[in-house]
Amino acid sequence: MLDTREKQGLRCGYPLLSVENVKLGYRVNGHTNVAVGNAGFQVWPGEKVMLLGPSGCGKSTLLKAVAGFLEPEDGVISFAGRQDLRPGPDRAVVFQEFDQLFPWRTVLENVAYPLRATGRSRDEASEKARRFVELTGLSHAVDRYPHQLSGGMKQRVAIARALALEPRMLLMDEPFGSLDAQTRARLQKELNEVTRRTEVTVLFVTHSIQEALVLGDRVVVLGHAPSEVREVLEVTGAAGDLDSKRFAWTRRQLCNLLAEDGEEVDDAVFE
Amino acid sequence: MQSLSRERTESTALPDTIGKKSGGGYWGRFPTVARYAVLVLALLGAWQLYVSLSGTQALILPGPVDVAKAFVEGWADGRLASATLKTLCIGMVIGMAVALILTAFATWTKVGEDLLSLLTSMLNPVPAIAILPLAILWFGLNPTALIFVIVYSITWPIAINVSTGFETVNPTLVMVGRNLGLGGWRMAGDVLFPAALPHTISGLRTGWAFGWRTIVAAELVFGVAGKGGGLGFFINDARYFLRIPEVFAGIVTIALIGILIEAIFNAVERRTVIRWGMMNG
Repeated sequence: MLDTREKQGLRCGYPLLSVENVKLGYRVNGHTNVAVGNAGFQVWPGEKVMLLGPSGCGKSTLLKAVAGFLEPEDGVISFAGRQDLRPGPDRAVVFQEFDQLFPWRTVLENVAYPLRATGRSRDEASEKARRFVELTGLSHAVDRYPHQLSGGMKQRVAIARALALEPRMLLMDEPFGSLDAQTRARLQKELNEVTRRTEVTVLFVTHSIQEALVLGDRVVVLGHAPSEVREVLEVTGAAGDLDSKRFAWTRRQLCNLLAEDGEEVDDAVFE
Repeated sequence: MQSLSRERTESTALPDTIGKKSGGGYWGRFPTVARYAVLVLALLGAWQLYVSLSGTQALILPGPVDVAKAFVEGWADGRLASATLKTLCIGMVIGMAVALILTAFATWTKVGEDLLSLLTSMLNPVPAIAILPLAILWFGLNPTALIFVIVYSITWPIAINVSTGFETVNPTLVMVGRNLGLGGWRMAGDVLFPAALPHTISGLRTGWAFGWRTIVAAELVFGVAGKGGGLGFFINDARYFLRIPEVFAGIVTIALIGILIEAIFNAVERRTVIRWGMMNG
């Protein structure tokens, strides 16, 4: 376990991920729709960085670019010193959709298959799959098929599957976005526990201020599309004491940042 | 949004009593197999009773016992269905291969996609039996002509369904596959093919049903021409020589094989796509 100061201390040397002046868009009928105008931030090993922004600001697009699913129109994304990013298991992705699991594989097989597919031996894959299924509290459901699981359990499997790959960075695209508030809160707590134990680096997309504060070490705030990075805020431990002055201040700060365009920030996202 | 739509379906759901048969209580308590067995026996009994009591000539309507005898004899000497099944199997295998090639072509290239959609929309409405005269002209009165029409009849439903299956694979699953760095073959075998399995099975089911009807019809035409073997020929030959129980045995065989193959498809579905929740049971 590292506290804030030690983590900042680690931030010398090279970042694991560096996004510089990145412009992202997708083509619709021949012309390009710019989603992300100019984004820049860094992620150091062991950090949990949250990409926070309003719906449609391109934060998911940015995550997909880091995952290697699409190329920037402009700018550079470099991961572990490489710039020709293709999708790879070193940046395991957890998606928002519940149907990201293979319906024809059981919970255990869903976690073990990616390990086999990336060259681990049968024994290693099954041993590791069991370990990570246990870590995410799914031991009782190893032989169930995805359609027999609740939404929260499906997302746990997806997290176990991604973690079992032992990625250098875990990319999470609003994994709790479709869950009810209670389940979401429980999974956030569990994720904190798991990431603390595995010390994995996390890049996490969310539109919820609460989620960003509970899970993040730092929050990268994006504006409306074509978005730019408005602010990068240290929030480590801010959610530790929900009544503390620091927490209230950080929350207010984030609300103000998101509401800059006169937009109503739904306080309901903050529970 | 999700909870809204769920509420709506709940509010429009039928009350419990609607849709349930009245008097299902006593009869419904028996297991399915027993219920159907009783019905089949009752029908056979009624048939035998009618034949015995009405004094109908056995030449017009033979009793179930005579039909059963003819059925057993027909199977025992292999005249009844072995030729038909063999032709059908060859046709199915070739048809599946053709459908697979067309589908692969359609999945990987735009030209192939257009070609498949053009061919299916042009040729699918033409019943396979309608091209039998052409097949006879090209290949003569022999099994090759039969195989040709079977291949024709099953290729389109299979190709349409399988390519729809590949087109509608959940994009998130494809992204998961790409995230793992799966290569083309692995992606196809481990992600795309299983994801398209519900469509593939229903395509095979439709293809089989088309093929089965086509071969019986085509063999009847061959039977009229006095040529070849197989079910259609068996039925026509029996009619010609007034072996009426054999005519019935032929028809029963057609029904039984149809039921058997349906049962196989149902079993495959129960063990795969239904078990995996990809299709409702």
